[in-house]
Amino acid sequence: MANTKTVILKIKRQDNPNAKSHWEEFELAWHPGMNVISSMMEIARNPVTRDGKATTPITYDSNCLEEVCGSCAMLINGRARMACSALIDKLEQPIRLEPFTKFPVIRDLAVDRSVLFENLKTVKAWVPIDGTYDLGSGPRISPEEQEAAYPLSRCISCCCCMEACPQFNDDTGFVGAATISQVRLFNTHPTGAALKRERLAALIGDGGIQECGYAQNCVEVCPKDIPLTQSISEVGGEVIRQAVGDLFRK
Amino acid sequence: MAATASPVAPVPVKGGVAPLRAGQGYSFWLRRLHSLTGIVPVGAFLFEHILISNASAIGGPIAYARQVRFLASLPLVPILELFGIWLPILFHALYGFYIWYRGETNVGEYPWTGNWMYAAQRWTGGIAFAYILWHTWTMRFTGIDLHEFPGASFGKVQSEVFQTPLFLFYVVGLIAASWHFAYGIWLFCAKWGIVSGEQARKRFLILCLAFFFVLTGVGLASLTSFRSHALQPTDSAGASMVEAGPGTTN
Repeated sequence: MANTKTVILKIKRQDNPNAKSHWEEFELAWHPGMNVISSMMEIARNPVTRDGKATTPITYDSNCLEEVCGSCAMLINGRARMACSALIDKLEQPIRLEPFTKFPVIRDLAVDRSVLFENLKTVKAWVPIDGTYDLGSGPRISPEEQEAAYPLSRCISCCCCMEACPQFNDDTGFVGAATISQVRLFNTHPTGAALKRERLAALIGDGGIQECGYAQNCVEVCPKDIPLTQSISEVGGEVIRQAVGDLFRK
Repeated sequence: MAATASPVAPVPVKGGVAPLRAGQGYSFWLRRLHSLTGIVPVGAFLFEHILISNASAIGGPIAYARQVRFLASLPLVPILELFGIWLPILFHALYGFYIWYRGETNVGEYPWTGNWMYAAQRWTGGIAFAYILWHTWTMRFTGIDLHEFPGASFGKVQSEVFQTPLFLFYVVGLIAASWHFAYGIWLFCAKWGIVSGEQARKRFLILCLAFFFVLTGVGLASLTSFRSHALQPTDSAGASMVEAGPGTTN
């Protein structure tokens, strides 16, 4: 019953943030339903390269394994996507796995994506409900508003939209689509709107919404199908209205 | 004492894209000014130049001379040229090159339409600017002064258009500038939140595409009309004859 069909993976590895990267090739026995994460689990069980050299298991971030946590984003055959939902049978072989190129590598495929967390903090991507007393129940949200907000709330902070964006790089320090879309989400929330002015003002700073070049890779690459370009358009309109308005009001 | 120490020393990671700099810099205004100058006055000038002034060449040398005389008769022409055309184009072009330089075009990895258009917007801008520099130099700053002798306009354009390589350069410049403007209108409306919805942006893109064909079509018709008429004089004496009306020219 020898199954001769195999899967070949080429993985870009790096021992630590300062080390040089190198490629390692692995060959695994094929079986149905494999995905990139399960393949790396198999490598961890038997960390031997294709040419028989013993090596270490691959380091990568992952958690939910069902495309809702956003941890396992990486470059698969050159493109940013989630490893858990990348089915081996649908990928061209040899499958190339690389860490994101615009985020500092910690080790192998694990990268430091804290820039998104910093950006979310800067735009106050939350609903302010903390008080010293019971604030009571919030305002009602109509089904229409809920339906518009839900797709935006699906963001899993995977950073695929930022990695694929030609404008997100060291020169621009662009904030990226995910943060802009979260601004839209929290600005449309009736309680979250309390911080609307501050959020829009933050996006005017260097690296703000103006750096968008509308290449629209973000919306193509987003694993959660978030209408990111629409968010950029709508927030872009609100930002310019507030900025120009403040020229006269302030 | 040691209560603040984290249980595991964080991996020292350096580099990566800088987070959003809220409240810092004025790149927002420069970028939005770049966007605005592309529409007004640069785009508005292109509209006039192709669809009104150059289109008058279809009516023949006399109609063309009349249009040039009208433009030359506008009050404060040097001021209009400087602040309405040259400085805005120069700013739009130079800041555009700066934007181009800072972006990382990645159509190889992400070959989607929007991304190709992102790249095309940079290339068409560069080609159009090279063409405009040459075109302004030969038509406005060298050879016979058309503001003084509008009658020589048709002949002066003919002296270039009848040379096939220059004719082709005209066609390339026309297509590049028309595309850059037409898609630029679409980008402007998307970025400023004027057309934000996905369906709306798709519909508007068709409109902008149609506008591109109108610009290119009228431009080509004007260009061929220069080639289909007999050679007109390019000297001051001949210019007065053209302006004097029919019967004095061949």
